[in-house]
This record gives sequence, structure tokens and C-alpha cells, in this order.
Amino acid sequence: MALKPKPEAPARLPLDAKRPEAPVRMYGVSKSYMPGSWALRDVSLEIGRGEFVFLTGASGAGKTTLLKLLFAAEQPTQGQILVLGRNIARLKGGAVPALRRQVGVVFQDFKLLNRRSIEENVGVSLDVLGSPRRRTRSRVFNMLRQVGLHERRDDPPLALSGGEQQRVAIARALVGEPEVLLADETTGNLDPELSVEIIELMLAAADRGTAVIVATHDHSLVERYGKRILRLEGGNLIDTRADAPGAP
Amino acid sequence: MNRRLEMAALLAESSWQGLRAAGLAGGIAVATIATALFMLGAFALVVVNMEGLLDDFGRELQITAYLEEGLTDAEAEALARGVGTVEGVEAVAYVSKAEALERFREMAGGAALLDGLEGNPLPGSLSISLRPERRTPEGLLILQASLDGLPGIEELAHGQEWVDGYARLAALLRVAGYALGIVLSLATLLIVANTIRLGLFARSDEVEILELVGASRLFVRTPFLVEGFIQGALGGAIAALLLALAFGLLVPELRYGLSFFLGNAAPRFFDFGELARLVGGGAGLGLGGAGLALLGSRG
Repeated sequence: MALKPKPEAPARLPLDAKRPEAPVRMYGVSKSYMPGSWALRDVSLEIGRGEFVFLTGASGAGKTTLLKLLFAAEQPTQGQILVLGRNIARLKGGAVPALRRQVGVVFQDFKLLNRRSIEENVGVSLDVLGSPRRRTRSRVFNMLRQVGLHERRDDPPLALSGGEQQRVAIARALVGEPEVLLADETTGNLDPELSVEIIELMLAAADRGTAVIVATHDHSLVERYGKRILRLEGGNLIDTRADAPGAP
Repeated sequence: MNRRLEMAALLAESSWQGLRAAGLAGGIAVATIATALFMLGAFALVVVNMEGLLDDFGRELQITAYLEEGLTDAEAEALARGVGTVEGVEAVAYVSKAEALERFREMAGGAALLDGLEGNPLPGSLSISLRPERRTPEGLLILQASLDGLPGIEELAHGQEWVDGYARLAALLRVAGYALGIVLSLATLLIVANTIRLGLFARSDEVEILELVGASRLFVRTPFLVEGFIQGALGGAIAALLLALAFGLLVPELRYGLSFFLGNAAPRFFDFGELARLVGGGAGLGLGGAGLALLGSRG
């Protein structure tokens, strides 16, 4: 019987890491879901505070897997991942929620609470932080205004279009002012104008110091902004940054 | 507002939303707990009433020591004083032969048949009442052993057989009540756990999303625990209400049948403390069921 590859003993982290303060660091990370097949192979990267990067690649290239590793929804098969100084492979119990409270994620399928209002959906990111109710309401209102949905705050998600639901998901990810923002095919359901508006929102978050990773296969969007690009091909990473560990 | 209070308010709100979302499944859990606690409560009512009657018996419990023929009043009174010093005896009253006959005459309504008697066939006696701590079948036996064979006492008499039988029945009922209680509680616990687990499955998307945005285990689980607690307390309150209703309606109808068990004692309902324990028991069952459901869940 073929065995699933065993995770190797944690590799020593390189002492010459150029930006030890970088909120996202991956060293020799591989991920396998079944024997002989690798979703990610030996990926190394660093993303600094306030940096905005696009993660591109065809469907199945490993974009979603890479993002999942960064918010501890998956564990690496090999290698080391440090997010905000925390080693993902060694997170225990309550440390995972604590990490996720600092990492905003926009999911491809939105993951909205259909029995709750838009306002409650966005507010849940602040609720888990124990934010006072009045402050939550005010921050949620401002966030919803930024994504153009403040007048629909009492509606349930199912009353909104796909694009509007995506904006709610983005508002929920941004409202807690996360240190890291991960977005999976965020602009896939949006028209070009709205896509630009959403990217502008995330750029603004990067300007405030958030490390932003946007997974997309929309080449026009990627080319438009001229930002750093991480390209995944069959689980291998190609980094456009000249001095990056995975640079060609 | 204090941050902990804010969090408590949030959890309460989330619990309320969970209760509303539980709908029919939640209603079934409440009804199940109410049914189980109603049966338990009905059984407990029978047991407490029988125990109450046993206490009444105890208060009236006396030993009658019939005295030997030929004992003078002075000797009998000296014996009474001696018996009064025996441990467990509260009071002793001497009833002379003449007084016994007089009492019998009164009881018989001055029947003419006593007129034909030669002399007084009734013995003198000592009526011995017991200290409260000795008013049990066991206490009675100990005291009887202390008095038996004292010079001047011919025979000791009391209603021990009846008290023994009644105490055995009450003990049996109590044991049966405990057994029934354990079985019903376990069944209820499992049903509540299953109901809560169904609620967990129905809201698994919500649980997943909460976990993805960084909710702690406490934040995710507390609403389910509160939900179980409230469902249990509601079930207990409904059971208490139904028991009061059944007691009020059935006791007058069944008074003749009940008098067989309770004699002249009036049937009593639970007091406030006992009712509170019933509701608290329901809440505990609900909380335990929810805990059991969460114990078996992954998140």
C-alpha cells in the first residue's frame, strides 16, 4: 500500500532571511493530498508588510492550497511557514483562532452566514475580537459604505447578487484591519469597473501596512497594476521579484 | 461597557438566534425533557407522600408495656420512673387497671356487656413515647430490647409489623424511583445530545465560518451549551406545570384509592425547593446533552 508522504522534521529556518519582519514567510514548503501527487512543491517566498502581490496560475495550479496554508486551514507536508511570526506547523488549539483574527480571508465561495443580515456578516469579524457593539456598528457601516452596500445592511446575503455578496465577503475580511489579507479569485464575479474598485480597496489596505495576496487568473487586472506576481505552475512557484527565493 | 460583558451579550444574542433556528428539533428536545421529568416527578411525588406518612407514623409511634397482674400502683409508678430513664424514651404515662377499664368503657360507649364482668380483666400498662431519633423500625427494636425482661413488665406491644412493611414499600419505591430516574435521565441525555448534534449539523456552515474568521472554541460552543441549558430548563418548567395540573385534577378524583396508601394524611405537592430542583435537573440534563453532543463534534 502506498503511503502518504510523512511530514519531514521541521527544517531549520534560514538565518539570512532578508526580511525577518515579513509577516508571510514560506521556506521549502510542499503539500501533498495523495501519494505521488504534489499540490505545491518546494515553495519559498516572503511577503513584507504593506506589500501587494498577485498570485496567478491556471485552475488547479495550487493557488487555493497556498492560501489555505497561510491561514492554517491546511498543514504543510514539508517545509516551514511563518505567518505573523507564528509557525503554522506548530500552532496548537487556541493559537489557530488567534492567528485567524489577524488574517482576513476573502473566500472564492464567499462563505456568508445566510441567516444573518449583511451588517451581522461583516460584524462577525469584530465580534470574535470582542469589539464593543457601538464601535462594531460604526466600523461596519463605514466599511459597507466603502463597498457601496451600506443601504442594504439589513438584507440577508441571499437577497444580493453574486457580485454584491463578494463585496460583503471583502468587507468582512477588511473590517478588522488585518495584518495579512488573502483573497481567492476575489474579482471573478465582478464586472471590470467593480473589480478595479475592489482592488483599490485592497491597495488602500496595503498602504495602511497590510500584506495583501490576491489570487486571480484575470491577466488584464494583473497587468494593469504592475505589482509583484507569484505564478504557480503545477505546484511550483515562479516569483517575478528579481531577488525573491523562487525567482527565475 | 466592560469587554467581558460585551462578549457575554454577544454570546447571549447568538444563543437566542440558535434557539430560534433550532425550531422543531428544539421543540422536540423540550418535549422529551418535559416528558421524562414528568414521569420522574410523578414517581417522586408518590415517594415523598409515602415518606411523609411514615413520618406521621413515627410521631404517633408508642410502645405499650402491659404490666404483670398484682403490681401495686406504687410499684407501677416506680417502674414508670425507671423506664423513663431508659435511653430513647421521651415520656412514660402509667395507665392503671381502673383507668384502662374506664377508657374501654368509654370506647365501647358504656356497653352493658361490661356490667356482667367479674372484677377487672384489663391489665395496667405504661404508654411509652419515643424520642424523635428513635422513631424508626430500627429504633423501635433497640428500645424494645432495652425494655424487654424488666421486672413487672409482662408484654410489650406496638405496630411494628405495619411500620416495617410500610417502610419496606417506601424504600422499594425509592430504589425504583432512582432506577427509573437513572434510565430516564440517560435516555433524555442521549436524545438531547442527538438533537443538539442535529442542530450542529444544520448550522455546520455557520460554525465553519465562525472558525474561519477566528472565533475561539468558547465563542462557537457557548451558544450550543446555553441552548441545551435553556431547552432543559424549559422542559423542567413544563413538567412542573403539568405535574401541578395533574395533581390538582387527579388527587380529588383518586382520594379513595390514595387513602389506601396514605391513610388519613392529605397528599402534598412539591414545595418550592423541590420544584426548583426539578427545573434545575432539566437544565442540567439539557446542558449535559449539549456537552455530550459537542464532545463528539470535531470543531
